[in-house]
Amino acid sequence: MANQSGQVYGLTILSPIVENERIDICHATELRWYLASLPRDHTSPFARVSSTHLARLVVMDDVVFVGAPAHEEHLKSRYLVFETNFDGDLDTYLTRMAREIPEVVESVWKHCVGYPGVADPAGFVAYMKKCQIATTFFFADVNDKTVQQNLRALQVQSALAHFIEKNQGEPAAEIQKSFGVLLERLAKAPAPLPGGDDSEETSAEDRPHD
Amino acid sequence: MTNSAVIRTDNTKIDVSDIQGFALKGYNFPFARYLLLELLHPKAAQNFIGQVVQYLTTGERWDEKPVATVNLAFTHRGLVQLELPEAALLSFPVEFQQGMKARREILYDTGKNAPEHWDPVWSEDRVHVWLAVNAQTPAALEKQCALLVQLMEQTGGARQLQAQDAGAIFIDGKPTSKEHFGYTDGFGNPDFKGAERECVPGQGKLAKDGTWEALATGEFLLGYADESGELPVAPIPHLLARNGTFMVYRKMHQNVATFRDYLEKQSRLYLGGKEKLAAKFIGRWRDGTPIELSPDQPDPAIVQDDNRNTNFTYGNDLSGLRCPIGAHIRRANPRDAFGFHGELVNRRRIMRRGLPYGQYVPEGQPVRDEDDRGVIFMALNASLFRQFEFVQQQWIEYGNDLHQGNDKDLVIGNHDGKGKFVVQGTADAQNPPFVCAHLPHFVELRGGDYFFVPSLTALEMMASGSVDPR
Repeated sequence: MANQSGQVYGLTILSPIVENERIDICHATELRWYLASLPRDHTSPFARVSSTHLARLVVMDDVVFVGAPAHEEHLKSRYLVFETNFDGDLDTYLTRMAREIPEVVESVWKHCVGYPGVADPAGFVAYMKKCQIATTFFFADVNDKTVQQNLRALQVQSALAHFIEKNQGEPAAEIQKSFGVLLERLAKAPAPLPGGDDSEETSAEDRPHD
Repeated sequence: MTNSAVIRTDNTKIDVSDIQGFALKGYNFPFARYLLLELLHPKAAQNFIGQVVQYLTTGERWDEKPVATVNLAFTHRGLVQLELPEAALLSFPVEFQQGMKARREILYDTGKNAPEHWDPVWSEDRVHVWLAVNAQTPAALEKQCALLVQLMEQTGGARQLQAQDAGAIFIDGKPTSKEHFGYTDGFGNPDFKGAERECVPGQGKLAKDGTWEALATGEFLLGYADESGELPVAPIPHLLARNGTFMVYRKMHQNVATFRDYLEKQSRLYLGGKEKLAAKFIGRWRDGTPIELSPDQPDPAIVQDDNRNTNFTYGNDLSGLRCPIGAHIRRANPRDAFGFHGELVNRRRIMRRGLPYGQYVPEGQPVRDEDDRGVIFMALNASLFRQFEFVQQQWIEYGNDLHQGNDKDLVIGNHDGKGKFVVQGTADAQNPPFVCAHLPHFVELRGGDYFFVPSLTALEMMASGSVDPR
């Protein structure tokens, strides 16, 4: 279970990047340009793969030389490092990537050696698992709840704080009545969208009693 | 985190005669003036520094309390103006080189706290020197300041840009340690090895057996081992750094009318009553009693007992039923609230100095936000980045470590009317849960900077132009 902490899966993938000396702009550079263009806020493509806690894509050129005595080491190629923390099992997650953000997967992994394309999700999953290395140890800066559970909990917490703020000091019977309304509205309220909300505490979902 | 490779020495010896007294102890003098200076021609400025050094107050023990003290510190621009060698200038930590204004995004000094609202003295980036006089009487203060101004004029080395007065609030003719919101302030300061004072329970750091011991000297003075067993990051040469430290200076305007009005309105809904709510804000009753030790009423006996007034932990109050998790003193120094016997806070401690400024208005009398009053906050630490900036960013202006989401410190947080503060509570009618919402800006930043507080040896090297980083 080296890849798992509680129910959160920590995936590490190293995909070798295609080297081709005959092209003008190398794959690593093109990949960097593309990655730099991806949004990192709630419009990130990984917000659409809604079980994602956190995802990171990095181009690694080589290992960095450290220390003396001089002992130079090199990687066999450049790599795309893909790290993600998500809920559930690996096959489901990778399949979701193939199905839900195929254009992003295509734009990223087309620069990598042996990438079979995304049209056949099973082929993509098999390819990714071939590139997987054991994460062995990772720091999941989240509790052991799913993304959805956390979003729901934050929604309830925020709604409750607003509720108390609005109703504190009212007679008990009134509070109880309003609380019933709050619970009902919360039960009906749609779960907040993953990927965070940049407008912070003002979203309509936060304030079902307003 | 027991690491046998970390060497800890308990025979720390510090040369108190080489260290500025301000860096070792709070003087507890009722009057102070902070002169903010621009250095002029480098040679004349060196001469001026050389003259001032002879009046400096060191950390030596006093047989008799002096009538006034003098201390001195420099912004990085000041050191540039003194023409320290570039190799030395560039060896200072980056945050000090940049100065506090450049760090505004990191510190959340934005909106009403942004530099465009600061006192004009900070707008031209000419503040080079902080020259501080603390005094027992107004006459002694005037006399000492006049002497320093005379030195500026004689040497032509410096020019006064602002004279910031500060002082204890007097009530019934007696100096107190109250601040303008009515709280008794200035209890806790971390003890460290080598300092004059024995470790007071509740200060320093928590040992595994629950007792308190002094922190490593290098958390507060350069040139000594810190809590990691290493020397703190410091400029070169070693002699320039050793026995010196870094100081943050922040002028914090207090909106007293807003505070009183807010407390009054909130407490109408809070069943525990106004004074209890005020205590929940800070973690101390307004007389200074820690709410953790006495949750139901103030207790003067605790306040007066130095072995008790800072001697508490939060380990048995993790849900914040006595002291709210977001209370000011619990944020600024969470002690053992994060577990691990308090080890997570040992490298985030700051030594506070500071005094109120402006006219005190007793409760019940008309008061206006616009009137010039607040506190001059000063804090000393070996690393502005690791200590002050971390506390300010993560514990004051954010709530994640405390599991308080985006909530900020109620009193000094940068709120803009949006913040909230949760008082944890129980079914007990006297201690109900409560939410303070729409927090206004109680405190506004009016300026400040990062300063280097050199040792006397370093000052003499600077004065003689003999700082040699090679």
